[in-house]
Amino acid sequence: MAVKIGIMSFAHMHACSYASAAVRNPNIILAGVADDDKERGQKMADMFETTYYPSYEALLAGDIEAVVVTPENAKHKELTLMAAEAGKHVMCEKPLAPNLADGREMIEVCRAKGVKLMTAFPCRFSPAMRRVKEAVDGGAIGEILAIKGTNQGKMPGGWFIELEKSGGGAVIDHTVHVVDLMRWLMKSEPKEVYAEISNLMHHQDYDDVGVLTITFDNGVFTTLDSSWSRPKSFPFWGNVTMEITGTEGVILMDMFAQTFTVYSDKNMQTTWNFWGSDIDYLLVNDFAMAVANNLPVSITGEDGLKAVEVALGAYESARSGVPIKLPLE
Amino acid sequence: MQRVALVGAGHMGKVHGPAYAGMLNAKVVGVMDIRKDAAKELATALDAEAYTDFDEMLESAKPDVVDVCVPTPWHKEYVIRAAKAGKHVVTEKPMGRTLDDCREMIEATQRAGVIFMPAHVLRFFPEFASMKASIENGAVGNPAVVRTTRGGSFPHGWEDWYGNFEWSGGLVLDLIIHDFDWLRWNFGDAERVFAKGLCTRNLGHLDYALVTIRFKNGVIAHVEGTWANPTGFTVKVEVAGDDGLIDFSNKVAVPLIIARSKVEVGQGQGVAIPESPLAQNPYYAELQHFIDCVEKGQRPAVTPEDGMKAVEISLAALESINTGQPVEIGG
Repeated sequence: MAVKIGIMSFAHMHACSYASAAVRNPNIILAGVADDDKERGQKMADMFETTYYPSYEALLAGDIEAVVVTPENAKHKELTLMAAEAGKHVMCEKPLAPNLADGREMIEVCRAKGVKLMTAFPCRFSPAMRRVKEAVDGGAIGEILAIKGTNQGKMPGGWFIELEKSGGGAVIDHTVHVVDLMRWLMKSEPKEVYAEISNLMHHQDYDDVGVLTITFDNGVFTTLDSSWSRPKSFPFWGNVTMEITGTEGVILMDMFAQTFTVYSDKNMQTTWNFWGSDIDYLLVNDFAMAVANNLPVSITGEDGLKAVEVALGAYESARSGVPIKLPLE
Repeated sequence: MQRVALVGAGHMGKVHGPAYAGMLNAKVVGVMDIRKDAAKELATALDAEAYTDFDEMLESAKPDVVDVCVPTPWHKEYVIRAAKAGKHVVTEKPMGRTLDDCREMIEATQRAGVIFMPAHVLRFFPEFASMKASIENGAVGNPAVVRTTRGGSFPHGWEDWYGNFEWSGGLVLDLIIHDFDWLRWNFGDAERVFAKGLCTRNLGHLDYALVTIRFKNGVIAHVEGTWANPTGFTVKVEVAGDDGLIDFSNKVAVPLIIARSKVEVGQGQGVAIPESPLAQNPYYAELQHFIDCVEKGQRPAVTPEDGMKAVEISLAALESINTGQPVEIGG
């Protein structure tokens, strides 16, 4: 039987992609949406031909089994706790929370209420990334020695640059995806982070440049560029890359390289059109299958929080000028 | 006409020597190498005399200029001996193995009143000169975050000197010093360096490093160096500023690929070899600049201080790799 899900808030633009994935999936029914921005919620309900609920409470009072939580970062806890109290399983957008206390509470309450809590890390579902994991696990490049990662993008604007709503700029936004991939790939935990952070792209009160150096328990050192360093004129939203150096070779992955280039005189713009697999679809499907079959989620709240911790450590390192030990005190 | 004496007939000597052949105002008159055969082979190719003794070369070939292409730890010795003999000197990068070496070379060449240039050839590569011009023209606004990549497979040299850390300093001193100098040329002096690398791990013919530099002007640079990449020599640059982005890769900027279907015995398949031919060899441009400076008595565009400050960043990165802490430059 198809899984009935709801979406709580469309503040994060990924909500649209998840909604689209849900309505295209024969195993999922998008039963309703709610949003504290009434106009936005109604518009999305119309677009995805589902019910608009005037309040989160009204949505949660229905017979949905699970929700996708996609508000501003600072509201992740509030909406996740509401859903858990109502006995609904939760897939929460990344970063799981803007601080460790929020994240811990989310994990504890979901556990206490017996609902699943999944962190939305779609990059784990990338076929290229799956292939990387398979190759590494199969010993294709020997032992991993170092990884160079990037998650560079365009400055998203909106609440992402209002620190009380986001908890931080580029570093909290773009650190968590690749840190999660590194943890997953190596089955090892980050033990130290050093970061150089600045605001020299946009010269505002939020960080837009971050270059992190993260070492792991297994001795592997990595760097991660989490900057909003793609200009407005860039032909694509950004990238997720990992270049892995091993004792017996290298693996170079550019997750969104499956594109063709369009040069259009209509808007005097060059764009890269992505034609690779839809990882948001695969993510939402994975969550729905865990709910339908009552299986543990593949990416937990703890996974989400571990990644957040690296971003928070990076801010601490930039403030203090020294490498910061992980986990944080 | 400047008479040039070449010290070292190894990999770089074989690059520098032929570069002079195209110049009207320079001529290689002597090639010295402790390996008699190597000296002779290159000297013959350049129509010069071969030597195994430096003093004998100075006395007999009577050069105006000495070009030092020996492994790093011996730069100091030949630079100082050349300066004391009143010869102008160009030396391959890195300028020295230590900062003290660099200081002694600067002192000796100053005292002798000779022109001295560390050969940071990247400044004479058209793509790197052109990127600098674009940055200066404001194409990307004020630069904020810069990324460079350089490397390929592990290099082979005399007595495996690249594999001897005490001699070469690994790729942090030998390879990505190119990028350190180019970054300094663009963004001024560095403030601090944080680095991770494999040079302390004794992994044999495998080295890799990731270096983060904070410049005094606020620019953050990330420099990757690899001697562990079998996909072929790779050079990448990305400069993100508040008004745009520069993106360069030598894997993309390929005007020519020659792939032969006729396969040699023993080879599994035909190999496609990418090429990026230029009318003017960057080493020629670099050495021509040096010779012109000697002729006109001018200070070269790459100063000895530039050479020393690039070494300083490399040594700071190595210190950071050892200590696990950020290292202040000039601290």
